[in-house]
Amino acid sequence: MSVNRNRTHLLVLPEDDKNLQLATGFALESANRQIRPLPVAGGWRAVLQRFQFEHVAKMQQFPGRLMVLLIDFDRSHDRLAEVKGVVPGHLADRVFVLGTWTEPEDLKKAGLGSYETIGRSLARDCRFNTNTTWTHELLRHNAEELARLCKCIQPILIQ
Amino acid sequence: MIRRLYVHNFRCLENFDLTLREPAVLLIGKNGAGKSTVSVALEILQKIARGINRVGDLVKPKDTTRGHTDVPIRFEIEIELGGHIYSYVIAFEFLEGFRELRVLEERLAVNGNPVYTRQQAEVNLARMGRQPEGRFRIDWHLVALPVVQEQTQEDPLYIFKRHLARVLILRPIPALISGDSEGESPWPNAQVTDFGAWLSGLLVYAPAAYGVIEKYLKQVLPDLRDIKNERVGKDARSIMVQFSSDMGTLQLPFKDLSDGEKCYMISAMAIGANEAYGPQICLWDEPDNYLAIDEVGDFILALRRAFESGGQLIATSHNPEAIRSFSRENTFFLYRKSHLEPTIIRPVEDLNVGGDLVSALIRGDVEP
Repeated sequence: MSVNRNRTHLLVLPEDDKNLQLATGFALESANRQIRPLPVAGGWRAVLQRFQFEHVAKMQQFPGRLMVLLIDFDRSHDRLAEVKGVVPGHLADRVFVLGTWTEPEDLKKAGLGSYETIGRSLARDCRFNTNTTWTHELLRHNAEELARLCKCIQPILIQ
Repeated sequence: MIRRLYVHNFRCLENFDLTLREPAVLLIGKNGAGKSTVSVALEILQKIARGINRVGDLVKPKDTTRGHTDVPIRFEIEIELGGHIYSYVIAFEFLEGFRELRVLEERLAVNGNPVYTRQQAEVNLARMGRQPEGRFRIDWHLVALPVVQEQTQEDPLYIFKRHLARVLILRPIPALISGDSEGESPWPNAQVTDFGAWLSGLLVYAPAAYGVIEKYLKQVLPDLRDIKNERVGKDARSIMVQFSSDMGTLQLPFKDLSDGEKCYMISAMAIGANEAYGPQICLWDEPDNYLAIDEVGDFILALRRAFESGGQLIATSHNPEAIRSFSRENTFFLYRKSHLEPTIIRPVEDLNVGGDLVSALIRGDVEP
């Protein structure tokens, strides 16, 4: 059986292939089947479109569903507000907007390892309440969203 | 884990060099690119470690690339185990007028230090601890690895053979898996038609593996209640699977499970065996076959998690969900321009594929 939709589960909608690899690393750190990376959207605007057209209704149907919109911020200070602007208010608690300040390639260039390795490290930070990777200068802007997310998914990561 | 597999003049593999750094690896490529041939090559080495040493039972003259019987068939494998690198080489040659290939060269070394070397019929044993050097002659048509006597369980020869013998090579054909068995087997054949014997063998060796198998199966088949390998004759057993829900219970013979459910059973056994005998190497040719699309990602990730702690998972696939469950650094692309040309292998991260890899594969835009 795939993800149990009646229990807390997390879908990760990545902007591109690099973000998908981060999400795969993240999912590998979970001991159960409740974290599911989705196929790439093809750009951050496509993430928004796909979220609106494919996921909003289903999130209403499944109260245990959480979603991460995994995008590149491309150094834009407005990106977070712009993305959150399309999230319906009643789903805001269950949708999280995360991503690299520039693009994931820069995380790799910064010596954090492969995308999967970085994704694993990010999941371990959530699981053990540590700050080894999320505090990197290209990721620390996620702090607020991350705090919300970690609180919600710790049970999935720890099970 | 396997660090390197080198194959020359075997079917479509010429000067084929697969160097691995990752505990999980995916081989992708078009039909006929040579993915399954990699598993066949590894299976030959596994069979040698399992005691099959008649050359004619391992390779045949027709296995040479495009009939090049004047060139030796060569297999080389390097396995990292317990911090040591075990390297094994075997080459087969064909002489005009003979019907079978024979051994040209064979060598086992640990960290570069030979355990034994062989040229044609002459085997030279290296000095090992208090054991002096030795030399003996062997039939050219027999592989020496299975017959060289190991001294203790600490003997590198024993460690290497046991590890290689336990490599799981899986190309299951669920329709042929009945769940009926006679006797026990510590490992399955590639098609897993001996599933019942494998289940009996694993549980005799490591009864605790049942807990691992059950835990996995209850995640993927929540209504599973029990698996019984019931005696149905003097030496025969047959697996029955029981499901239950609010509506009651249902008992099914193993053969009546769906193809996908049988694959879950195989996956559970592989994970259980890895816990019991591990760390193990598992090569699964198209593990996503027979699975529903929403099952594939979790199926692959569960295998990856299980085998990455010390073992190794090598998978081949065409399935987009399976491909998405790996990353570019652990995915290799196999390519063959035509049936007359050898397989080329490249790490996907070296191919400069822009955008989504699956989309690029669908467009046929991935080339070495």
